[in-house]
This record gives sequence, structure tokens and C-alpha cells, in this order.
Amino acid sequence: MRVLFFAQLKDATGCDSIELAPPSSLNSEQFWAELLKQFPALAAHRAQVRLSRNWEYAASDTLFSNDDEVALIPPVSGG
Amino acid sequence: MEIEIQLLHEPVAEKMSPPPIGGHGAWLEFRGVVRGEENAQSISALEYEAYPEMAAREIRRLLEEISSRHPCLAARVVHRIGIIPVGETAIYVGIAASHRGEAIALLAEFMDRLKQDVPIWKRQALSSVAANVNLRISGSHQSADSHRRLQSVRSLDDALAEIHTHCQPLPAVRTPLEACFGRVLRETICASEDFPDGDRSTRDGYAILPNDESEIFRVVDTLHAADWKPRELKIGETVRVATGATLPCEHLRVLMQENVERTGDRIRILRRESASNVRRRGEELRTGEAVLQPGVKLGAGTLALLATVGGTQPLVSPRLRVCHFTTGDEIILPEQTPKPGQIRDSNSILIRNLLQKYPCHLEQAHWPEKFELAKSKISHRQSTVGDADVLLVSGGASVGEKDFTRPLLESLGFEIIFSQVNVRPGRPLIFGQKGGRIAFGLPGNPLSHFVCFHLFVAAALAKLTGGAPPEFRRGTLAAKLEDGPNPRETLWPARRDAAGLHPLAWVSSGDVTCLTETNALIRVPANRGSIESGAIVDFLPTTTE
Repeated sequence: MRVLFFAQLKDATGCDSIELAPPSSLNSEQFWAELLKQFPALAAHRAQVRLSRNWEYAASDTLFSNDDEVALIPPVSGG
Repeated sequence: MEIEIQLLHEPVAEKMSPPPIGGHGAWLEFRGVVRGEENAQSISALEYEAYPEMAAREIRRLLEEISSRHPCLAARVVHRIGIIPVGETAIYVGIAASHRGEAIALLAEFMDRLKQDVPIWKRQALSSVAANVNLRISGSHQSADSHRRLQSVRSLDDALAEIHTHCQPLPAVRTPLEACFGRVLRETICASEDFPDGDRSTRDGYAILPNDESEIFRVVDTLHAADWKPRELKIGETVRVATGATLPCEHLRVLMQENVERTGDRIRILRRESASNVRRRGEELRTGEAVLQPGVKLGAGTLALLATVGGTQPLVSPRLRVCHFTTGDEIILPEQTPKPGQIRDSNSILIRNLLQKYPCHLEQAHWPEKFELAKSKISHRQSTVGDADVLLVSGGASVGEKDFTRPLLESLGFEIIFSQVNVRPGRPLIFGQKGGRIAFGLPGNPLSHFVCFHLFVAAALAKLTGGAPPEFRRGTLAAKLEDGPNPRETLWPARRDAAGLHPLAWVSSGDVTCLTETNALIRVPANRGSIESGAIVDFLPTTTE
């Protein structure tokens, strides 16, 4: 599973992507738990961050599996 | 509604024409420009970052959703990414509609929603000093971050490793044997029965019991190749058998007809031989034994074996869909006569023929060297370009002003994995990925094409099809390789024959004449300089035929 970071989350993690290899699919709660183990600094951003799975915003019941590209989307500011 | 979306790393065009649709009474354009002030601070530029694949999807999703309430005919959205100086356009939206009301309503709602949902970020405001520095470094093309990533030059091994990581095997398909030549087998094929399925004679002759010492035998039957007549033989009995005939029972031996004398239904042995002249049951293959492993490239011989074991619908790699585009305004058709500064296109025929080894649907075309023109050409061919497993773009990959391969690939949603490899020839190689699809921007001259194809494209095609990647081999130099030390690894064209590797003269990466002889590329390490005749070197075999 490829996990992408954008904007200020790159600064928080110090990288633009990582690979995770969870043994089974994760719901968003489990995904965050996994991620915060590696990057405790993300906790401060969590409330504002939306997750995407394969280029679409994830719903509350979305499951993230090994083949997915998951991104952490902080508040956007395009235009 | 017709929708066109671009994420650009360069300035948005000053003028844009409405999309070529009829029936619109309103053409509404909006440009969002960078203000000279951000958070009450005076600035000179803003840096934008995007998640390009998702941003393009979200823009499309929003436009489709909003146009269901405010029907419009066409929309074009261009968002610039990277460092954008004050006063320049960050976003452009053009809407065509039958009447202005719908266009205005759609634009207003779209801009509101874009600022909530589309993954694009203002990264940092740059003061005048910082902006100048950053602009100089990045050539105003990319954000400082992507800039670092794009400009970092890959070593040959790193580039190959990244190609390996980013290419995934395409789903395999069951395919009839007649269409399998050149495909890569994607399953294990096992023998359906023993081969041969019984003991078979390898001679025209007479089958007898293995321990029968008789001089005279009575011929009790005659067997042709297709016969199947099981029976037990007794001492003094023999069966006349043709080459390939299945013997009437197991463990017999066959006397060659030249070594016996036949009279009526009797034969007499003239010479005894030690050979049994029998292929035993299962001698070649046992039932269930694996005869072919996944990864084998299917050729005449392997396909004959598949037919033998009844594997008539093997699981194989799909036919690749490849799009190849040439760029460069100086390129003319081979049948035209070049004016000063023009050159004939040799890359199209080169790529077409290098791809002969790979079963594929190939589409080739020329793109004008103007971003907007090329974009509109692509949008006319959206289905072809969008469906291609592999996109190859010739030319436009060096760091000149007119070069546009990289931004073009990015606007098509490709993530650029690397844009330079530290090899000669062929350094400005671009590799991009978009989901399961890949793209290469190949440096424009034929020798670079030849090298990059065998080094990088072939590696990617091997991974996509599930086949074995091209591998360097060891060989002996048959003549001295004369070169000054070069900071880049070199792939030196060579002719390989029984005597070894003969380095060929190549003047520059534009040299095409040496390609007529090249059938190997010698890998010369960086800073190595000349290599003496007789030295052991790594080389990559290539094809010329």
C-alpha cells in the first residue's frame, strides 16, 4: 500500500510517500493507528485530514488494502 | 458536456479559443491570478502543489455534478502548478453554454467547490528574494520539491530498479495457440499424459521379447504407426513394426530390418545389436510433469510443445497497446527532402521494428511541438492515448525551451518517476507512471532511441508481460575500446561475433550509421576511459534484424 503525503504533511513526516504492507485490509481507524505508530506528528493534523483511496475521497466505511494508493489530503487551497 | 482538464508546470496560454463545439451562445472565461499580497505580506510569487491524478478526477467529478443542475456544453479547466509569479494565471476556467446564465452559475459553484475539494495546495508565499532564487533554480517549471526529485539524476541501476518497481504485470488472458507467438506464458503447463504414451519403435524392424535368444522368429502381426494392438509375445514370436509404432506390450526390443532376413512369415537374425531401438513410455514426459514454466516467451518450438500436450488455450500476456508519438517541428517524413535544419524521421520506423518482438497494437503519430496543439491532437485521440499500456514519446526530452514531453505527460495524469539517467547516449530519459500505465520520453536521436529501448523500454515491457528482463552478459573485447574517461556510464555500440566484441565508432549520440552493425551494447563504467583488447566486459545483446 502506497501512502502519499502532501503540503504541510510532507513537512510533518519528512517524506512524500511510504509503503505499508498490512496483513489484511484496514478500516480508517486501523489505518490511522498504523500510520501514527510511524509518524506521531501526524496526530495534530488528523482532525483536518481527509483520506483518499485510489484518487477518490474515502467514505467512513472505506477499507484500505495492499493494492491501494492512499493519500492524506490536508485542507486544500487551490484556485 | 465536453470537459478538458490540464495541470500545467508552465504559464497558462494568454489566449484560448473556445472548444470546437457548435451551438453555444456564451463563452465565459475566468482567470484567477496571483495577488501581490498574501496574509498582509507583500509577495512576488506563490508555489502550488497538486495531487495530479486525483485533482483531475475531482475537477471532472465536480463539473459533471454541477452541470447536471446547470447544463453547459463544454468546460476547460487549466491549473498551473509550481512557482507562479505575481500577476500570472494560477487557474483558468472556460465554460461554453447555450445561454450565459447557466455558464455563470456553473462557474461560480465550480470555483467554490474547487476550493473545498480539489487536492491542490498553495504551498508557500515567496518574498521577492526567495522567489528569484527559486525561479532561477527551477526555471519556473516545478515546485522546489518536485524540482529536486525530477532533477536528481538516476544511475543506470537505480533507473532499472524504479522501472521494475513501477511496472506491474498486465492481467493474463486465455488465448488460442495461433495468436500466442511472442506472448509470455503466465501459467505452468503440465503433461496431460505420458509421452510417449506407450513403448514406441524408433526403427522399421521386428519386435521381440528382450531375453529371446532364438535365431528364427515367426511374424505374428504387423503394426503401422497409428496402430494400437496390444498382445503378449511368446519366445520365438515377433511383430513387424514401423518406425513410431506403439509396441504391443511393454519391455520389448526391436531388431532393425537391415539385421534380419525375412522369408514368408519367418525371419532369421543376421546380426545381433545391443540397442533396444525403443522409446520407452513416459521417457520424455510423465503425466502431470511440468513442461513449461510461467515467464517463457512462446516461440515456434514451445508452441509446438503446447500443441503436443493439448494446451490449446494457454494463459498468456495480453497484446500490448502501445502509442508512439514523435515530436519536434524539425522532423519531416522520410519521403520528403529536408530543407536546412530539417531531418527525416527515422525513429518511427525504428520503434516500429524494435517492437516486432512484442505482440502489440501500435499507433504512431506526430505531435506538433506546441503544447496547446499537441493537447488538442491528444484530445481527438483520447481513447487511443488513454487506453495505451505504454506511451512512447520521441524527442522533446532535453532541457530546451521548446521541450514539452514532461509537462505533456503530467497533464495526461502521469507521475514522473525520473527524468534523467546518468548514461550516454540517452541521458534525458523520462519515465512516468499512471496507475497501470507507463510512459517513456525518449531522447530524440536514433542511437539514443536504440540504447534506451534495449536498456529501459525492454525492461518495462518484460515486467508488463511477465517475461524475463534483459540481462547483461559477460564477453571479451576483440579490439581496444578507445575513449576518454567520462563521468557517465556509457553504453557503447558493438558488433559481436565468434571473436568477441568489436567496439564500433560512434561520433555522437546522433550517429545512425553504426546502428547498421550494432548487435550488442558494451557497458563502460563511469570514468573508466579506454579498455584494452581481451578485457572481460559486461554487454547487453541487442537485435538488428
